[in-house]
Amino acid sequence: MNLLLEIVIQNGLLFDACGVLGLGLIGLAAVKLVRNYQSWGGTMMAFGAISLLVARLFFLISPHFVNDDFLTAIGPLGISLMIGLPPLLLTFGLAGIVWGLWGHERWLNAETR
Amino acid sequence: MRSAICLPLASIEAVRPVFMIVMGIFLLLIAWRLSKVTSGWSARLIVGGAFLLAFGYAVMMPLYDAGAIEHYGPLKKHYHGSAATALAWYTLKLVLMNAGWLAFGLGLALHAKVFTPPTPARKVPPPTLTSHESIA
Repeated sequence: MNLLLEIVIQNGLLFDACGVLGLGLIGLAAVKLVRNYQSWGGTMMAFGAISLLVARLFFLISPHFVNDDFLTAIGPLGISLMIGLPPLLLTFGLAGIVWGLWGHERWLNAETR
Repeated sequence: MRSAICLPLASIEAVRPVFMIVMGIFLLLIAWRLSKVTSGWSARLIVGGAFLLAFGYAVMMPLYDAGAIEHYGPLKKHYHGSAATALAWYTLKLVLMNAGWLAFGLGLALHAKVFTPPTPARKVPPPTLTSHESIA
């Protein structure tokens, strides 16, 4: 494989850093919108950004600490949570961001009209 | 490559892909409407990011879920189709999802004026005379 491609794909740090940075910026912007303009969409957006960020960080970090000892320590309930929760967070995070953006857009249109 | 069974569109297993398609399209629509009331780089970045994300969520993720695109893994040895195709789609996924969120986040942050310092509150000069004081 091409060396550059290998670095970019297999380490993946560059792209993941971009994604995490973007989600962090969305959360920051949402909090700012809530504080400065009292736009209710911001709350949903912040909630969505945080859950997406948590799920993404979990996917990034989990290969480094999940092993057999860890799995036996958390038990069957923990394992099912670990399998079930990240997709749920991803789904509801996306919904939260879209819903929040919709709310903010409606608020902005009502304000400028 | 096409050997995987395609999910029927409105089944329980297909709820998540359908949800993602709807969300992706809705995101693009709202971003476009939002761009009409904003201007400059903020609007461009929001629409650009939303376009990348909408393609990723509405087209690519459902294709992955339907099995039309193979998952790529560094340790995976056997592919049904070609490994290069899987790698190319994987690269595209990385670029779309991460650059999409980055551009969208940057645009939204510009829109919310995260980077510009808060304008200091205009100082009202303290009144030298109270209303009860007589001038004379």
